[in-house]
Amino acid sequence: MIRLLTISAVGLAFALTQSSHAHHSFAAEFTADDPMTIEGVVTEIWFRNPHARYYIDVTTDGGVEHWDTRAGSPSLMTRRGWTKNSIKVGDHVTLFGHRASDSSRKLLSIIWVELDDGTRLE
Amino acid sequence: MMVLTARFRRGLAILATIVMSGAAQADDSPEGTWWLELTGDFAPFYGEMSLRQTDTGWQGHVEGGPIGVSVDGENVRFTIDTRDLQGFMFDRVLTGSFDGEKMSGTFEIEGSTYAEQPGGSWTAMRKPPDPPPQPPAPVDLSGIWKPAPGVDFRKYTMDLTPKAQAWFDGYLMHYDQPNIRCVSPGIVAMVAWGFYPMEILSAPDRLTFIYEVESEVRRVFLDDRQPPEFYPTSSMGWSNASWDGSTLVVETRLIEGNVRDFRGEPVSDGARMRERYSLSEDGQTLSAVITLLDPDNYNVPPVRRRQWQKSPDTVFYPYECDPDSFYRQMYNEDKLDMYFERSKRRQMN
Repeated sequence: MIRLLTISAVGLAFALTQSSHAHHSFAAEFTADDPMTIEGVVTEIWFRNPHARYYIDVTTDGGVEHWDTRAGSPSLMTRRGWTKNSIKVGDHVTLFGHRASDSSRKLLSIIWVELDDGTRLE
Repeated sequence: MMVLTARFRRGLAILATIVMSGAAQADDSPEGTWWLELTGDFAPFYGEMSLRQTDTGWQGHVEGGPIGVSVDGENVRFTIDTRDLQGFMFDRVLTGSFDGEKMSGTFEIEGSTYAEQPGGSWTAMRKPPDPPPQPPAPVDLSGIWKPAPGVDFRKYTMDLTPKAQAWFDGYLMHYDQPNIRCVSPGIVAMVAWGFYPMEILSAPDRLTFIYEVESEVRRVFLDDRQPPEFYPTSSMGWSNASWDGSTLVVETRLIEGNVRDFRGEPVSDGARMRERYSLSEDGQTLSAVITLLDPDNYNVPPVRRRQWQKSPDTVFYPYECDPDSFYRQMYNEDKLDMYFERSKRRQMN
């Protein structure tokens, strides 16, 4: 099931990802308005610069959606303790982040990820 | 032939500076060159602002880029566009007053930004002419340096030539961005980036700059050695440096065609860049003024400023880059044909 949340007080969340997209234009693909939450199962992980990616299958009433979710630079993420082993294929995760400017694209720029055991990565 | 001692020459230079500065301050118009500083609940940033009155009205530049200028008696208003770290453009609108040798006021933010950008206060003082070159007085710049916040206006719009504007108008952010496909963004962009540390190694004949991002290495020769015949343009170019007093002046040429910033203004193949590095008195802060010299693309040279804090305990992390996921996204979205049809645009040399 897909959950869409509109968060109004997003200032803190913004600050957490200040470094994630510092070397290319976030504005080219994403909007800072109306960050959203999705939850699903990790099907594939790409933990390489310039950006880590998690491919997520999200089950909706209409079927399964395949989401391409983008995190920051692994060089910077690893410094904060978010490593290539923090999330594994098959994990059920909740992701909060920025949607694509073109809302038809299943893209998400991650602000944080929460695992089922309550671990939050940001 | 008259022989002047170093002390006498320095005295003459200082006197000339005072006289010229005084002449500028006597002007009752804001026309001229100013040192602009913005302060508030953030790390302050500063830069050079020039104002000129023409037949068609006031014109102004900040750090080489055009700004909006309005002068009405003692009241002034400046509109300075910038971008945030995520690529959103917005304006800082400065309003205030002019009293002959100083301007000051407050500023507000207009436009959408990724994170909330605070307003604050601003001051501008007449900028005296640059001092004459000083005898070399080298200082030790070696060590690990991590970026410090603030300093740079991150002025976005630059004074592009028609050729550069035409190229820029066709630029596609993200798809045309070199480093998103693991191609070096080049020294012009990298030297002004934040967040990643750099290390400077010192040897008698050179400084070696190691940048964590993109794992780039750059040699800056402390003599006037020349590149070999047929030496190509490259992402780091060819750098020679000299000391102006205790300021290291790096002149880089043979820079490969690239983009200046991640919004895509072009850098010519063969462009030049000048950097002036200076160390704080306590040796803990390194400052740089970075000027791109590329008259084919810019009517006025763009200027960036950076500061770094000495950070001997910072550890360099590996920066391996793999563009697979960039192409994967285009494959999934059926955009590969579009991408490869634009290949020619990405060959800027």
